[in-house]
Amino acid sequence: MRISRASVVVTIAIAALVVAGARPAAAADSIDPAADFKAFRDYYTKRFPNVPLNDFVNGPYSMDAELRKQWEAIDDFPPYDFAVDRGKEMFATPFKNGKSYGDCFPDKGIGIRQNYPYFDLKSGEVITLELALNRCREANGEEPYSYVKDEMASLTAYMAFTSRGKPFDIKIPNDPRALAAYQNGEEYFYARRGQLNFSCASCHVQNPGNHIRTEVLAPALGIVAAMPIYRSEWNGMGTMSRRLVTCNSQVRGVPLKPQDELYRDVEYYLSYMSNGLPISGPGARP
Amino acid sequence: MRGAIAQGSALFVAAVLAAVLFANAPASAQALPGQALAFDRSKGNCLTCHDIKGGDSPGNLGPPLSDMKARFPDRKELAAIVFDETKRNPQTVMPPFGRNLILTDGEIEAIVDFLYTR
Amino acid sequence: MRTYLFVAVVCLLTGAARAASTEADFKTALAAAEAAEQDAGALKNQWIPTEQALAAAKKAAAAGDFDAAVVQAKEAEALAKASIVQAKEQQSAWRAGVIR
Repeated sequence: MRISRASVVVTIAIAALVVAGARPAAAADSIDPAADFKAFRDYYTKRFPNVPLNDFVNGPYSMDAELRKQWEAIDDFPPYDFAVDRGKEMFATPFKNGKSYGDCFPDKGIGIRQNYPYFDLKSGEVITLELALNRCREANGEEPYSYVKDEMASLTAYMAFTSRGKPFDIKIPNDPRALAAYQNGEEYFYARRGQLNFSCASCHVQNPGNHIRTEVLAPALGIVAAMPIYRSEWNGMGTMSRRLVTCNSQVRGVPLKPQDELYRDVEYYLSYMSNGLPISGPGARP
Repeated sequence: MRGAIAQGSALFVAAVLAAVLFANAPASAQALPGQALAFDRSKGNCLTCHDIKGGDSPGNLGPPLSDMKARFPDRKELAAIVFDETKRNPQTVMPPFGRNLILTDGEIEAIVDFLYTR
Repeated sequence: MRTYLFVAVVCLLTGAARAASTEADFKTALAAAEAAEQDAGALKNQWIPTEQALAAAKKAAAAGDFDAAVVQAKEAEALAKASIVQAKEQQSAWRAGVIR
């Protein structure tokens, strides 16, 4: 097996970081996102051979025909429409200093949602869309929004809407810090937590299509493509941050702060695993 | 008259002793009947994953719980599964109700009693 | 009457000496529980029932019921320790479930 120079450099760099006690990196295995990606994709397509690849982004509706019928019935009046409209209005409204959201993003923030999260090599961290929006606000003298409430949901709903159908294009640069963030996200996804001892994988890898009480579980493949979602159970919109927080508390784990490094890492991991799948957000869920 | 007072004293003493003893028992001493525990979302919450006769809208992450006496003739084995199924199956999604202090030993026993009626 | 009262008082005292927790007992138990919960926090793996038990312990103590307060604090410590065990095990155990 021919080992590329790049992977040698990466491995040495990771080893150096581990020794230096920096951001926790991999143990014995080297990190290979491309191999993980293929294995992840194959797992779901083999388990659900009758689900078209792009349909996984519809979560529980790709798993359950009855549920899909109910979803299609409300599609004429999608419950997230008000959030998209509000987000569009917020985008059009300048900050106090005259600048607006478009000034913080490539292409004025239109049709770019599929590129998030990305790894910022300058600051050495994962930048999610929600984080980028609040940093935009703060850079322009505005107070940041709560990550779990309606303003953030409206902004991300609008941005997702402008990217509908565009395939996820998440990049993991050949940088030990980016690879470590990716792997920390993978670890977060598979590690058990909370008094109930569930990992994200317990439901979304081991039990997609099964149901807890009456709730059909979504596959992890494509699971972030529909964010933010209007959730009937919540009678309102839910951001990515809100979803992660509630997943934690549902297994009786104290949630991390929204946009905690680990939350950003797991969003990075899941988004990369969904590369090539179309943005379906904003979504509607039971 | 003195005999009656002596009898009264003995009863009073017994009552005081009992009150003192039970006042210091741990809060979880009074266990609910097994079915209530099994179906209670804050306790066993078994219906979230298991179909059990007498319960509504069950989930299907775990197998239906029926014929339990025949399937688990060894009571200790069934109790151990509820206590910590990861010991048998490291990849199980069943919460370790005993190890993670979700249910007390007494509550697990009561649930086993109930499961044996299913 | 005097025998009656004497026996009752002895019983109460015996019972009391066997079980009553003091404020000092509570403070010790709470400190241990909070230290464990802080360790769980450093591992980013705190449990909600731990926080609930800590709150219940403090509430009972504020009401002067140190027996209940100590029971809750000890429960909180046990929960915090269990969450630490979970986090430490998962540092390596997580790999077993990865799709390969």
